[in-house]
Amino acid sequence: MKDVMGLIYTGENDARLRELTVTRAIAAMPVAGRYRVIDFLVSSMVNGGMKNIGVITQKNYHSLMDHLGSGKEWDLHGKNNGLHILPPFLTRENVGLYPGLLDALRSNNNFLIRSKQETLVLSNSNIIYNAHLDELVQYYRDTNADITLLYTKDPSMKRDEYGTYLSIDKSGNVTDMEVLPTHPGYDNVFMEVLVIKRELLRDLVDKAVSHGLHSMDKDIILRLVQDKSAKINAYEYKGKCWQIDSVQSYFKFNMDILDPEMRKGLFRDELPVFTKVRDEMPACYGDNATVINSLVADGCQIDGIVENSILFRGVKIAPDAHVKNCIIMQDGQVHEGAYIENCILDKQAVIKRNARLIGPDAYPIVIGKDVVI
Amino acid sequence: MLRKKTCVAMLLAGGQGSRLGILTKKVAKPAVPYGGKYRIIDFPLSNCTNSGIDTVGVLTQYQPLELNAYIGSGAPWDLDITNGGVFVLPPYQKGKSGEWYRGTANAIYQNIAFIEQYNPDYVLILSGDHIYKMDYNAMLNYHIRHGADATIAVREVPWEEAPRFGIMNTDSDDRIVEFEEKPKNPKSNKASMGVYIFTWSKLRHYLEEDEADKKSSNDFGKNIIPNMLNDKQVIVAYSFNGYWKDVGTIESLWEANMDLLETPMPIDMHDKRWRIFAKNPGMAPHYIAKGATVKDSLITEGCEVYGNVSHSVLFAGVIIEEGAKVESSVIMPGSIIRRGAVVRRAIVAENAIVGPGAFVGEETGNIAVIGTGITLPAGVSIPAGQQVDEEYTF
Repeated sequence: MKDVMGLIYTGENDARLRELTVTRAIAAMPVAGRYRVIDFLVSSMVNGGMKNIGVITQKNYHSLMDHLGSGKEWDLHGKNNGLHILPPFLTRENVGLYPGLLDALRSNNNFLIRSKQETLVLSNSNIIYNAHLDELVQYYRDTNADITLLYTKDPSMKRDEYGTYLSIDKSGNVTDMEVLPTHPGYDNVFMEVLVIKRELLRDLVDKAVSHGLHSMDKDIILRLVQDKSAKINAYEYKGKCWQIDSVQSYFKFNMDILDPEMRKGLFRDELPVFTKVRDEMPACYGDNATVINSLVADGCQIDGIVENSILFRGVKIAPDAHVKNCIIMQDGQVHEGAYIENCILDKQAVIKRNARLIGPDAYPIVIGKDVVI
Repeated sequence: MLRKKTCVAMLLAGGQGSRLGILTKKVAKPAVPYGGKYRIIDFPLSNCTNSGIDTVGVLTQYQPLELNAYIGSGAPWDLDITNGGVFVLPPYQKGKSGEWYRGTANAIYQNIAFIEQYNPDYVLILSGDHIYKMDYNAMLNYHIRHGADATIAVREVPWEEAPRFGIMNTDSDDRIVEFEEKPKNPKSNKASMGVYIFTWSKLRHYLEEDEADKKSSNDFGKNIIPNMLNDKQVIVAYSFNGYWKDVGTIESLWEANMDLLETPMPIDMHDKRWRIFAKNPGMAPHYIAKGATVKDSLITEGCEVYGNVSHSVLFAGVIIEEGAKVESSVIMPGSIIRRGAVVRRAIVAENAIVGPGAFVGEETGNIAVIGTGITLPAGVSIPAGQQVDEEYTF
C-alpha cells in the first residue's frame, strides 16, 4: 500500500516492569524467544506496505537502536524512505523528556514535514499485535474518516484504571470515549493505533500543544468526539493482542504463546514477524534432555529438564538442571542440579550449581541482566 | 572504476552433484540444505567473510534458480557492499559465440574480465561441495610467505583412501613436486581439497594457454596444475587439519549431518568468532509439546514437535505429529511427518509429507530419500536405500 507511513511512539510508562526496563524501553523488551516487542509493530507496518517508518524514542533507547540498526531486517534500508530512529533532543520548550505523546509528536514535527506520505499510522509500543494494517488503512479511506481507531473486544484487554474505551454506533462511528476510567463502561478497547492524514495530525498536535495539552486520547480524540467536529470511526482487530506493562502481563504473554492456538493467532504465515538475526546454529538436544511444552530458540544447548518455559537464543541448560515455568533470555545459563520455577532471567543471567529459586505463581522472580546466583 | 582488491574469490557452483540423486534433480549441489539451517554454499561464503575476502564470484550453470534466489544480494554474509560483494556469474553470450562452462578452468577463463575489474594480486578458487571452516587469509599469507605461484590446500587422508583422491607429493619444504590423480599406489596421503590460491598474473597466463590447447579438458586438477608443475612453477601445499567433509553422496550428506550430533561436535558451530551465516527463514522459535520426546538432536526455528525425535536434524518449519517417530534422519525445511509414521535412517527433502502410519527407511542399510514436494500416502513402506521422486509408483 503506497502513500502510507508509520510512526511508533516508545515512551510509555514502565515502572511496573521493574528490573526488566531499567536498561531498555518496553519496545525493546525481549519476548517469545527471539523477538523484541517492537518487532511485531514494525513487521505489521512493513507487511502493510509501509516503507517509511519513524520510531520516537524516549529514555533507555540504546538497546532499541542496537536492535533496529539500519532497518535491514525489515527491508527498511531504502534511499528515500526507510527506518528513522527519532531520539529526543533539547529545544527551547523541551528538555528531552516528553510529558506526553503530543509533545513527542511536536518535537518530531520536522520528520513529519519531511515525509512524503499523505496518510500516517500511529502506534504505541506496549501492545503486541500482528494486524493487517493495510486493511485498516483501506477502511479509513473507504469510509472517508478523519481518524480511524483500531480497537479490540478481547476481554483480557479491559482493565480497571487503564486504557481508553470506545462506544461505537452501527455504522462504525465513535460516539463516546472513556479515558482511564476506574471501571470501564464499554467493551471496545482502543489499541492506541490510529490512522490519520499527516497534515491533520500536525495541525491537531500544534493546536493542542500550544494550549498546554499533552494527551492524544484525552486532549485530541475525546474532544473531537465530544464536539462532533470530525468523523472518527473505529475498525476492529479480531486477532489476539497483549498489553505489556507489568512483570505479570509480560510473563502472561510469554506463557500464553506456548499454546499452539494462541501462537497461530500471532504468527501468521501471511504476516511474518522479522527480527534481528543472530546466526546461531540450531538448538542442540543432548541424550538426557527432557523438554515439555516449551519454545526454544536457535543456539540453545539443552541437557536438562525444561517444562512450560521459553528459552531465548544461546541459553544453556546443564544436565540435571530443572527449569519450570520460566523465561530465560539470551545467553542465560542454568548449571548442574539447579532448580528454578516461575523465574524470569534477563540476558546473560547465570544460575549456579544446585541453586534453588522458586517464585510464587502470580509474581515471578526477576533476575537482572548479567546477575550470577 | 572499481578499487583494487588483494584477493578475489571464485566459487565453482555449477556442478550437478549427480551422486546426490533426486536431491539435486531441481537444485544445484551448493544449494542442498545441510545442518538444520544451512545450505552447503554457506560454508565457503561464510569462510570468505570471516577471512576478510569480500569479493566473490559464484559460477553457476546447473539448475541455478534456487541458488540465485538464495544468494540474493549477499546480505546474510555481509556481502552486499558497494565495492565488491557477491556476484552470480552464469555463462553468457559473447559476440557471435556463446557457450557453457566446459570445465573448472574454462569457467574461470570465461570470467577473466570479471576478475580483471578488481585488478587482484591473487585469486582464490573454491568449490561448493564441502563442509568445513577454513581461514583463507591464513592460507593467503602462507602463499605470499612462500613466494608461491600457486598454493593448494591439502589434508591428510587415511592411506587406504588415498587412491580415491588427487594426491600431492611434496618435498621437505612443502613444495609440490608431483601431482597424481587417483593413484593406484600413492606415494603420499596429502589429498587436494579443491581449494587453490593463485598469483593472478600466473593463473591468467596458464588459463589462456590452456584455452588454446584444443585437446585440454580445461580442468584445474587435470590440466592447469600439471602444466604449472611441468614448467617448474612454485606450487606449495597448505596443510589443513580441521573438519572437512565431502557431501557429494547421499550417504556422506547424511553422515555429515549426523556428525553435528557427536559430542564434542567435530566442527565447532558455536564459535562466535567464526559464525556460519545463512539466510534466515524468519520463523518463531520451535515448539516441543507435552508428550513429545527429543533426544540427541538438532532442531531449529519454526518446528513443531508433538512426536518422538532422536538422533536427527530438523530444518525450519518441520512438523512432527503426535505418535510419529523420527530416528537418525534428516528432515529438510517445511516437511511434515504425520501421526504414527516412522522415519529411520532417511533424508526427507523440502516440503515433503510422510503420510500417517507410513514407514520410511530401516534400522540398517542404505539411506532412504523422499524427494522435494513428494507426498507419501498413508501406510506405505519405503525400504532402505530407496529414493522416492515423482516417478515412483506406490
